[in-house]
Amino acid sequence: MSTEDRRATTKLLFTELRSSGDPQKRDQLAKLHLPLVEYLAKRFKDRGEPLDDLIQVGSVGLLKAIDRFDLDRGVEFSTYATPTIVGELKRYFRDKGWAVRVPRRLQELSLRLNKLVAQLTQDLGRAPTVPELAKAAGVSEDEVLEALESGQAYSTTSLDAPSGDDDDAPMRMDRIGSEDTSLDNLEHFASLKPLIDQLPERERMILRLRFFDDMTQSKIAEHVGISQMHVSRLLSRILEYLRQGFEGDAQY
Amino acid sequence: MVFDTVSLTIPATAGHLAILRTTVGGFAARDQFTLDQVDDLRMAVEEAAVQLLRQSRGQRLNMDIETTDLGVEVRLLAQVDGDDPIIDEGSFSWTILRALADDIHVESKAQRATITLSKHRLTIPGGSAERDSR
Repeated sequence: MSTEDRRATTKLLFTELRSSGDPQKRDQLAKLHLPLVEYLAKRFKDRGEPLDDLIQVGSVGLLKAIDRFDLDRGVEFSTYATPTIVGELKRYFRDKGWAVRVPRRLQELSLRLNKLVAQLTQDLGRAPTVPELAKAAGVSEDEVLEALESGQAYSTTSLDAPSGDDDDAPMRMDRIGSEDTSLDNLEHFASLKPLIDQLPERERMILRLRFFDDMTQSKIAEHVGISQMHVSRLLSRILEYLRQGFEGDAQY
Repeated sequence: MVFDTVSLTIPATAGHLAILRTTVGGFAARDQFTLDQVDDLRMAVEEAAVQLLRQSRGQRLNMDIETTDLGVEVRLLAQVDGDDPIIDEGSFSWTILRALADDIHVESKAQRATITLSKHRLTIPGGSAERDSR
């Protein structure tokens, strides 16, 4: 089903559901958007929980979103549902007392730093150093390091800018344009090619920009429209994926 | 200028690589490296360590980090079987390391393989990149 069709069907089903309250319409909506749940659940798959469980948890979020969605708001349903589903998944891990749980204090600092990094990068024309960041945030260098480290541990998977094949997801691909992302330079790494082909377009592009065009993370961040920290996480994840692929056990 | 060195020995297993990454990140971050560069260095160390681990025959992997005039130098060392180059210069790994580090040196001798990575500090105008007074 094309994105257009899905959007149209979604709209129709919501109209019918709201007027009739027919639970079948609710089921149909859930079925229609299950791929979004699967997609988001996969983002958490490295945390040691079976994917099926995560899909189930995510589906609870999807149903909540269906029940709360207001057609008149003018946003696409999947855009509306994404944070609800992710929220449900995160709560699941929080409730489980997950090993990489990060104290709220650090989470907040991490978020604050993320914003400061963007601002300082713009002001300085390059990424800031930790001392610069500490000064700007009014915290110690150790606290900055701790927060950065925890940020790394906490979201090794991409949550703040989902990307994938769901066109309604708030992607930033529009900023990328239609550049050549063929990774020609990679051609002679024949064994890697099938792995690289499986990466989402954005990830392929980041890989190329960093390792073949020698662009800094900050520049890539600007280019792609995501934060430097996010670029950093994606790069680590891509490399990890390629290494696993080398061992014959890859799933991105 | 004072030359600082940090040395670390970890069990030669993938599960301990994060310790190397964290250590090298913490070291570089305190030394006027930008976040980009800190990340580069962490990724480079991880990549180099993975390569060493794949061929390691020993129980331990050793890392020395040192400040130099230009920046930092990280030396990773493990015991290996032969004296073949630990990373082929045509490999993807080499390409990655080349992009992440300013200088790489690979050596295998007497069944000890060493990968040395250098990362140069940016000279920050008005910053304390040239910290010869500390």
